Amino acid sequence: MSAKITQLSNGVEGVFIKNDRFNTTLVSFNFYVPMAKDTAAEYALLPFVMTSSNKQYPDFSALNFKLAKLYGANLSASAEKVGDFQLLKIAISTIDDRFSLDNESLCDSATELLTQLIFEPKVENGAFCEEDVAREKRKAIEHIRGDLAQKRIYAKKRLIEEMYKGEPYGVAKCGSEEDVEKITGKSLYKAWQKLLSTAFLRVNVISRSMPAGLFDGIAEKLGSITRENVTDCTKSTPTAAVSKPNTVIETMDIAQGKLCMGFSSELYGDDESTAALTVMCDIFGGGPYSRLFTNVREKYSLCYYCTSGLVKSKGLITVESGIEKENATKAEREILNQLDIMKQNLFTDEEFQSSIKSITDSFKSYNDSQGLLDAWYSLKIVKDKLVSPEEAAETISRVTRNDVVYAARGVKLHTVYKLLPNDKDGDA
Amino acid sequence: MKKQIFEGFGDESYVKAVMPNGLEIYIMEKPQYSSSYAIYGTRYGSIDTKFSKDGGEMMTVPEGIAHYLEHKLFEGEDGDAFSKYAKTGASANAFTSFDRTCYLFSCSDNFYENLDILLSFVQAPYFTKENVEKEQGIIGQEIRMYDDNPGWRVMFNLLKGMFHTHPVRIDIAGTVESIAQIDANLLYKCYETFYNPSNMFICLVGNIDTDKTLKQIENSIIDRKSVEITRGEFDEPQTIVKPYVEQHLAVNTPMFCLGFKQKIATPYRRLKSKICIDLLLQIICGDASPLYARLMNEGLINDDFDSEYFNGNGYAAVIFEGESCDPERVTQEIKREINRLRVEGIDRKLFSAVKCGMYGDLVRRFNSVESLAMSLTECAMYDYSLFDEIKMLKAVSYDDVMKRFDVFCDENAVLSVIKPLED
Repeated sequence: MSAKITQLSNGVEGVFIKNDRFNTTLVSFNFYVPMAKDTAAEYALLPFVMTSSNKQYPDFSALNFKLAKLYGANLSASAEKVGDFQLLKIAISTIDDRFSLDNESLCDSATELLTQLIFEPKVENGAFCEEDVAREKRKAIEHIRGDLAQKRIYAKKRLIEEMYKGEPYGVAKCGSEEDVEKITGKSLYKAWQKLLSTAFLRVNVISRSMPAGLFDGIAEKLGSITRENVTDCTKSTPTAAVSKPNTVIETMDIAQGKLCMGFSSELYGDDESTAALTVMCDIFGGGPYSRLFTNVREKYSLCYYCTSGLVKSKGLITVESGIEKENATKAEREILNQLDIMKQNLFTDEEFQSSIKSITDSFKSYNDSQGLLDAWYSLKIVKDKLVSPEEAAETISRVTRNDVVYAARGVKLHTVYKLLPNDKDGDA
Repeated sequence: MKKQIFEGFGDESYVKAVMPNGLEIYIMEKPQYSSSYAIYGTRYGSIDTKFSKDGGEMMTVPEGIAHYLEHKLFEGEDGDAFSKYAKTGASANAFTSFDRTCYLFSCSDNFYENLDILLSFVQAPYFTKENVEKEQGIIGQEIRMYDDNPGWRVMFNLLKGMFHTHPVRIDIAGTVESIAQIDANLLYKCYETFYNPSNMFICLVGNIDTDKTLKQIENSIIDRKSVEITRGEFDEPQTIVKPYVEQHLAVNTPMFCLGFKQKIATPYRRLKSKICIDLLLQIICGDASPLYARLMNEGLINDDFDSEYFNGNGYAAVIFEGESCDPERVTQEIKREINRLRVEGIDRKLFSAVKCGMYGDLVRRFNSVESLAMSLTECAMYDYSLFDEIKMLKAVSYDDVMKRFDVFCDENAVLSVIKPLED
């Protein structure tokens, strides 16, 4: 397994991750643009419109028919928030030519199709096809509204909105309903042009062998585009600590409440301090050996789940928990108590070792999944450097107890968000 | 120990070994992979609420007990399994479905040590009055979490609308009331019946050595006398309970599940009919079908739209699900399209395209140790080989698929809808 980086244009990198164990080839285009309220909805819609048709396959039925004929080639589109940036991904995965039943060159056909979808969209009179745009807008709005159906996602989204009001990270990854409504075929065409000229782009290829001419072909397409003001996506603004934590309580017609807590941290940036914070967050509330699982859930039965997560790009730690209304305060207090135990160096050596083993074990398995490798190499954008999952595992294994305690002492409560069930009629 | 080697599809192969006590072991070596995946499973799920052991009296146990047992098995006399896995770095979990309970782990290092943990705790139940009572709180929370999950509710409301008596209509975790009846004694009775080697299987895939692994399993399995399990028959009528079920929850867009209950001649599915029905569903409403295009362009469905063939011991149905502003309209359109295709025949070009697509999906499965281990559990449950699906798919004809329109009968259709709360 090796990963090699090739510069294709100003702010455009091709990364070939050679891996012999898969039956498939995966190619992904990863566009980074700044996260901003005015552009989030438009940029988020682009991957979906771009993967629904193009000049050669004028509607999604024709395109999906072609994908099925390519032995179920998997075309995917997504828009994510990565720190202060939006990551727009368009990817295709196809089975290798050796499995084709009619000797067709599947990989070439699939990568050619992907390149066409990105560089030759269906454009009429300087606008994307209005029918495609209207359909994808409708789906995007339903998707945004769909967050309400998943209370865990909804509660976390509300926490982030409260924590980062007016900041890029506070903007929802697909923008707001109102901003989606405003999009037109023309405005989207302009956004596409801007994307191709200013986005930082990383193209990942994960395969046994590099598809011939793919990177050259992309470089040639980009040759006719003026690349300027390219997004520098290597660093986001860290989460600032607050002097007094904020508490937000909302109610809804639900059976189980949700408790979400957001914390700032002082460590941010280099690989070593990020590794320390990763281990600290994992002992705190990562695996089933963690403080939150063994105490808040198992020992005190205060919730069904209670986990912590780290957003490395923002130095943000979140805790998510499903609780009974009457346990909300007790659970909150116990979660903070567990954080104090981390700060006071009172966690056990066993917990510390378990965490290091679990994180390194999981990093080592990344090479067994094309999806994980793709995510890894599209999220790790560091200037002039590619860090492999194995190297990250080594950095983790060098973390000491002192590093963890030091990291924990910088963690401060920022915001508490509670989503609680409405009082039922007849309740006291 | 009886051993059989299965080969097919490139250079892929695996071993199936059966111990004298009936335990089935499936091992697929993937030496080029860094990680391994292990599943220790029993043919015991939420629908097994009525059974007898060795010809004894038929007993009925509370709903949700299989899932409860799964939770409790992690807790041993010498500590819980999670804390043992914590020492090795493995990622461990378990799940209970309608027809099986599986304990699993994945790891990059210490495979044999992890296998020891898995084999030990699944064979060492430790149920006490105190530890069984303690679990009521946690499982009660889990049940309540599912009460707020519209995707889960829309499905179980559908099953309640389709099935009169079959326990598939009950939530896998049971209800707060049913789990209150569970005690240590009942858990032991279920354990002694279903966690016998003759009713169990082990599926292992990854960077492992077959001989060494088999020896380790042989040395670790506690020999128990085989048991004869008789599962209660499901006295399920062919008809549905009611054609429409509705619930209001905190959602913005209505969610729906449309099911066609199928009359079943044999309790278990045959692989070929599953493949044919899966193909037929792709032809009727897959993303290259005319119906999908129409529903999508008219704003009636979104990317959440999907279909599946839902089948297990004593139950079968075809289910369409998704979000829609107008579920009744979607239902009408699906029924109309089925009836049109039944008469006019399916598009031959689309038939060949979806067949290609499904072949690709099966090839893709060989990429992942997890998918392979899960597929091997299907082989264990339904007694077929991992390579049979590809072989059978290649042989499926246009006529084979046309015959499967028999699964759709309008009188047996049930629509379940979750609507937004009314102000």
